[in-house]
Amino acid sequence: MIDFARVQKELQECSRDVEASGIKVAPKSDNLGRLTGTIPGPVGTPYEGGTFQIDITLPDGYPFEPPKMQFATKVWHPNISSQSGAICLDILKDQWSPALTLKTALLSVQALLSTPEPGDPQDAVVAQQYLRDYQTFVGTARYWTETFAKTSSLGVEEKVQKLVEMGFPEALARSALESVGGDENLALEKLCSG
Amino acid sequence: MEGEEDYGVSEEEEYFYADDGDSLDGLADNDDSALQWAPPKVSATKVITKESLLAAQREDLRRVMELLSLKEHHARTLLIHYRWDVEKLLAVLVEKGKSCLFTEAGVTVVENLDDDMPLTSSSTITCDICIEDASGDNATRMECGHCFCNDCWTEHFIIKINEGQSRRIQCMAHRCSAICDEAIVRNLVSRRHPDLAEKFDRFLLESYIEDNKMVKWCPSTPHCGNAIRVEEDEFCEVECSCGLQFCFSCLSEAHSPCSCLMWERWSKKCHDESETVNWITVHTKPCPKCHKPVEKNGGCNLVSCICGQSFCWVCGGATGRDHTWSRITGHSCGRYKEDREKQTERAKRDLYRYMHYHNRFKAHTDSFKLESKLKESILDKVSIAEERELRLKDFSWVTNGLNRLFRSRRVLSYSYPFAFYMFGEEFFKDEMTDEEREIKKNLFEDQQQQLESNVEKLSMFLEEPFQQFNQDKVMEIRMHVINVSVIIDKLCQKMYECIESDLLGSLHLGTHHIAPYKSKGIERASELSSCRNTKLGSTDEYLPCGGTLECDRPSGSGSSDDSGCSYRKRAKKEGGGFFDLNLPAEIVDRN
Repeated sequence: MIDFARVQKELQECSRDVEASGIKVAPKSDNLGRLTGTIPGPVGTPYEGGTFQIDITLPDGYPFEPPKMQFATKVWHPNISSQSGAICLDILKDQWSPALTLKTALLSVQALLSTPEPGDPQDAVVAQQYLRDYQTFVGTARYWTETFAKTSSLGVEEKVQKLVEMGFPEALARSALESVGGDENLALEKLCSG
Repeated sequence: MEGEEDYGVSEEEEYFYADDGDSLDGLADNDDSALQWAPPKVSATKVITKESLLAAQREDLRRVMELLSLKEHHARTLLIHYRWDVEKLLAVLVEKGKSCLFTEAGVTVVENLDDDMPLTSSSTITCDICIEDASGDNATRMECGHCFCNDCWTEHFIIKINEGQSRRIQCMAHRCSAICDEAIVRNLVSRRHPDLAEKFDRFLLESYIEDNKMVKWCPSTPHCGNAIRVEEDEFCEVECSCGLQFCFSCLSEAHSPCSCLMWERWSKKCHDESETVNWITVHTKPCPKCHKPVEKNGGCNLVSCICGQSFCWVCGGATGRDHTWSRITGHSCGRYKEDREKQTERAKRDLYRYMHYHNRFKAHTDSFKLESKLKESILDKVSIAEERELRLKDFSWVTNGLNRLFRSRRVLSYSYPFAFYMFGEEFFKDEMTDEEREIKKNLFEDQQQQLESNVEKLSMFLEEPFQQFNQDKVMEIRMHVINVSVIIDKLCQKMYECIESDLLGSLHLGTHHIAPYKSKGIERASELSSCRNTKLGSTDEYLPCGGTLECDRPSGSGSSDDSGCSYRKRAKKEGGGFFDLNLPAEIVDRN
């Protein structure tokens, strides 16, 4: 069984210093087993200015088993799959310790954004580009940040309107936007994939 | 040199002992060791049963505990980390020092026990895992200093045990690699799941088998529950107390003088009859309609399958019935014909070669099975003969001869797959020139032939109805059996020596090892007594073990031959010196 009391405490603790860390964790629904984490892209990296959403699923043995985390926001990084958002990070696997928390894990993910390890890649294509042509890598990563990780200035209604103009029914567009946390690109992707 | 003698043919040699009747008894006495089949009383190879598993590892544990003045659970953690290789552990100790040895294995030895925060029932701590307060008696501080509440520890242990990590449960603190004290794990887990605590204990104990290259489970099915421990050399053949004989290295049937790799390849080859498949692919073509393999039995290239479909033999494509030879002349696939012929030729040659070796292998294996059945009837003959009023009362030569026959029959049958690979191209294509190959092949085949003729001779003598013979005739048979047995033993030994030093020994590839030849048959592992209580007794046993190993080696030949036969190619263990370190502790113990 998931230790919900601890998850509650973690959430409280996290919201207390959200100003300092910029890291947010919020449950997706009433069920505390599925959460969404948000981390700001680290300053001085191609991810700067972006806000990255991470899907978190807690296994039954949490905190004695590591939480499952993967990027919901598309990101161009050697240790993160550009397709699925899967993260290659030791503390999410065998180096997990029950003494770690969702917040410390997200901090580690944020640290991973600033210090990629192309020697142990999750995404071979990205890793090769990183090693062979660093400038292009930075360009692509920055472009992806601009495209996928920047919250648009448009309000929800405008986003819905935009999607309706593209030919999607309004109710569907609204629910799609809600399910991805207001990101119109992700909503569009979701609508297109059916 | 032994190599120049010819055992099989020389009459003089064969009747060497038969000169006069008096020498008979003398022979039996003198050569007792060579002819008796009784296995050594204390074998260096041990059977480890469920009951003796603890006793089996006690020696290693005790050595490490005494050398490093450690508690048992620390010694166990160290040994598990170093896979029960005490010599390796000691080498790390000498090379890198004690603290490094401990850190690598996750052992924390608390030097000063005055904790900065002693846990008492009145004090409370906040557990960093569940973020709840816990009273001192509901929390546990591990030796590394990290303290969490008992509920969280228990949960952590249960998850790790279920994940199969019983042998290395690390502390819960981030980046702390200390291994948790097994007593704490046992204690906390048994409060909630007594079954799981038992499982944990079992896993810890079985590490001695699972993580130890010198100990392996007996591969018997249904499993007898035993494990076998060898000393010195893992390339050997053993017999478990359940009766199963197997190769310790690859756990399949005892197959020397084949190497494990050769045997694996051979059994696979025999199993899926890949040569037959090969033949089919080369000699037949699948019908384009029913896909059955069709063999062309002459005539033109228009073939028709039994299903009625006609097709072109050259390109395999379906054709109509009105198709004639003239209409496919000049077909473009014709230019590959030459290649195909070569391929056919090659497949045929490979198949015949395989059949040659396989037939002989099978013939001897079958003989072995038949002779095993004969054992009963021959033993009956012995009891009939014993009833009679003969001067000769001792018929142990019959059983000894039978055992020699079984042993050498096996050697003979496995020598064929060995030759198949040794002189084939699969493993050693570039290892020798064709000329070298031919010379070596002849050398080996000569030996094989000599052995073969003597084995058949022995089989023949043993099948004689000696229970009906008169005194002199029985003595004569006895003479033959004993003589041929001695010859066979020497031939087997020579063959193994030749394989070790001249054939496999000359190769650059060091991947093929064979189990050494044991004159007295496959070594039967002896029971490890589980009630070995005194520490004194267990060390004493160590020394005779080495002694048995020595006298178990083939007797009669020079010591240089001995080492050449079984140990020459492998590095000898150089850890013997370490044992002396144990001496002071032992003396202390004695007093």
